Amino acid sequence: MYAGERQGDIVALISRALSAARQGGAGMRIARRMLGMLLIAAVIVRAISVSATENYPLSFWASQVANGLVLGGVYALVALGYTLVYGILLMINFAHGEVMMIGGVAGFFGLQIASALGLLSGSPLEVVVGLLLVLAFGMGIAALTGVTLERVAYRPLRNAPRLVPLISAIGASLFLQYSVLLIFGVRPMVYQRPSLIADGMRIGAVFIPYTGLIIFLTSLMLMGALFVIVQRTRLGRAMRAVAADKDAAALMGVDVNQIIAFTFLLGSALAGAAGVMLGFHNAVIKFNSGFIPGLKAFTAAVLGGIGNIPGAMVGALVLGLAESLGPSALGIPAEYRDIIAFSVLVLVLIFRPAGLLGEAVVEKRA
Amino acid sequence: MSAGALIKTALRQGAAAFAVLAYLTLVGLPARLAESALSVFSALAAALFFLLLRRAPSAGAGTSIVQGMLGGLVLGMCTVGMVGGLAALVGSGVRVQQVLDKMTPPNLAAWFGVPPIAITRSQLGALELLRPALALALAGGVGGALAALSRARLSLSLGDPLRWAAIALPFLLLGLVIAMGDAGFPLGGSNRGTLRLLLAMLAIASGMFALRATRAGLEQRGVAGALLIGVAALPFTLDQFQNAVMGIVFIFVMMGLGLNIVVGYAGLLDLGYVAFFAIGAYAYAFLSAPFSSPWFSQQLAQLGLPTTQPLLSFWQAIPLIMLLGALGGVMLGVPVLRLRGDYLAIVTLGFGEIIRLFMLNLADLTNGPRGLLNIAAPTLFGYNLGNPRDIFILALVGSAVIAFVALRLERSRIGRAWMAMREDEEAAQAMGIHLVRAKLLAFAIGATFAALAGQLYAARQVNIFPDNFSLFVSIDALALIIVGGMGSIPGVVLGAIALKGLPEVLRGVDEYRIVTFAALLVIMMIVRPAGVLPTTRRRGE
Repeated sequence: MYAGERQGDIVALISRALSAARQGGAGMRIARRMLGMLLIAAVIVRAISVSATENYPLSFWASQVANGLVLGGVYALVALGYTLVYGILLMINFAHGEVMMIGGVAGFFGLQIASALGLLSGSPLEVVVGLLLVLAFGMGIAALTGVTLERVAYRPLRNAPRLVPLISAIGASLFLQYSVLLIFGVRPMVYQRPSLIADGMRIGAVFIPYTGLIIFLTSLMLMGALFVIVQRTRLGRAMRAVAADKDAAALMGVDVNQIIAFTFLLGSALAGAAGVMLGFHNAVIKFNSGFIPGLKAFTAAVLGGIGNIPGAMVGALVLGLAESLGPSALGIPAEYRDIIAFSVLVLVLIFRPAGLLGEAVVEKRA
Repeated sequence: MSAGALIKTALRQGAAAFAVLAYLTLVGLPARLAESALSVFSALAAALFFLLLRRAPSAGAGTSIVQGMLGGLVLGMCTVGMVGGLAALVGSGVRVQQVLDKMTPPNLAAWFGVPPIAITRSQLGALELLRPALALALAGGVGGALAALSRARLSLSLGDPLRWAAIALPFLLLGLVIAMGDAGFPLGGSNRGTLRLLLAMLAIASGMFALRATRAGLEQRGVAGALLIGVAALPFTLDQFQNAVMGIVFIFVMMGLGLNIVVGYAGLLDLGYVAFFAIGAYAYAFLSAPFSSPWFSQQLAQLGLPTTQPLLSFWQAIPLIMLLGALGGVMLGVPVLRLRGDYLAIVTLGFGEIIRLFMLNLADLTNGPRGLLNIAAPTLFGYNLGNPRDIFILALVGSAVIAFVALRLERSRIGRAWMAMREDEEAAQAMGIHLVRAKLLAFAIGATFAALAGQLYAARQVNIFPDNFSLFVSIDALALIIVGGMGSIPGVVLGAIALKGLPEVLRGVDEYRIVTFAALLVIMMIVRPAGVLPTTRRRGE
């Protein structure tokens, strides 16, 4: 059925191409679309042929899907930060991945403190309270970092040409990474899971670790909280007003600087939560742990349509799934999973720059 | 100014300065500075308060000094509180270093000017605790006084004598460097070699400023020619290590000039520029050392070609590598034609990473992390040009040729098209500029230069590994053109010296290199986004 639809689409495209043959722009666009469809078809064919030869059991796919959803939840939290900032300032906060890493580092120290206080080995209630405190600590420090970052590295450049804040952001990203390396040393910070959540549960043959489940649920809750803040509160309304038109919002009595700082605060707090979760998921946080996940979260934001909040969540889940299913589905080594994410980014930007759910902001504003 | 406002400002500025000093302490700078730590930090504090108070609304000199002293006092109290607190923790046996890696006794002791043992035994007296606070408060006062002085507007006009002095400086320095080659020259002592390298770099850097000071026309051309001759003499007088350092500096000049075309002229922010550098290096490695690539040598053996010797010599490989570089540039350029600014940056960054991951994982072709080994050195009429001196000469020649081409391009039709495109794509298109052509040309030409730099780099290194082509090469190349001034050719040379040369001279601060340049990127963007040696056009803006 799927292939049939595609074919119908292609026939329609060809007829449109014939009718618009004289217009160079349209011809180019159609050529690009056909190329895109060829690529999709090639990926599908490859996936089918691989699955026919490899014969993975269903439980394998199920656990990969679970893994992908967990990753997607983490990416979504980070991607939301990119999207929020982009929506308002039209700039990519290149250092956002580092804010996440700092959240993870803070979470590590929070975890040390919590376990020194004996919170993590006590009753289940104490463990839950302890973990929530760790999460809050990571979020708080990350939010502080994000707000400082905006104040020091971005605010003085608000009216500069677009390249200038981007370079400043690259500088800030490197600065944060290597400052963490210098201040805390090269030792990786190992997250010890409290015994209460160290295990997992089984659904049939599929093993789901509790941490994965908690990460996924927490990220859903945080996304819900963000949605409520943006859509239902006064501050959220001010944020949307600033995103739509900074000058008009200022004329209506919105303190634009304050709203931008608040946006950074929200995005960075979510990133901090993601950092703590990533610490629990990967068991280790290092000074460069934020860089690649940050890039991937950016990919997710672009995939969903940058500046679009639901888009970031959808894009992140799709990317998480693509990354965990991709290597086995396409029969390529797992080392190439980073390449999958980058290829998705490049392909989306070429074929559908507005993203899956995006409005067409890219061509207009970028 | 009321007392309340005075105190409020002092608290704010003191806290800002404290953030800087606390950071520097946390990354372990005091231990490096040892006994001079307090004086260096005091000077730094004075500079910070000078910057903070410089813009203050016209206040009297007295107010400025009082303001600085109050701020300095806040800074001093905070600093002593933090460092003293940490010292007390260390003294009472808490293992602070488990968390804060650099909080060693020597690091803390340097602040108070006491031996490290005094910290571990927690023998800090009140007097020692007070000293940094007083020094920082005084430094704040000095900063305030300087700020008041600067407001008095001491205007310095650059007269003709000063201009000629600026032009003469590089030649004096070059003369000094050459004279130091003579063992009897009484200068330098034990650090002679390092000093000489530093002077050589300063000579070239000041030469770039001298070029800026000349008047366009015959004068400029004359000075440029004389400088070129002077610099060409360097490889023959410097020793092996000095030549090796200068060689890498000028390989980065070649690369920076290429990136300058893409970013500086055409305004296309490319963060994956290392990909083309890698293409050049790996292509030359395949051509000159086919035996170290398993797949490649197998293919050659099947074709009945010898695999134990280079396929092409260095010179024969040049056209092929230029072609490959240009092809790579177009291949990256075509898909990203529609993207601008930040999107372009991220996609190119992804592209650079993809190339590196392929180099790492395509073990059959690239030998993976074990790298390609025994790359042939260039030869000329039977002479082996693989030693540092000849590599430096080759890099100089390459830089000169590329700089010449870049200069001609800058003033050509396509160069003007790039700059128009950089300023405003829509307007440029409306003026009849073919955007696709202009962009692809920029990518292709920039990539060609990077591939050439990569080829020379491979010949210099003899063995290359995927790690040589990490993202940081791209960042370095970008940072050097930003520091020098985007679009400015002398700026590229200056940036390469500052970013690749100086760290070699200042051995031991290598640990702080990335942090320093990262901070520099941010500060440059805020203070001087056009770079140290901005192009004339930018200076006009």
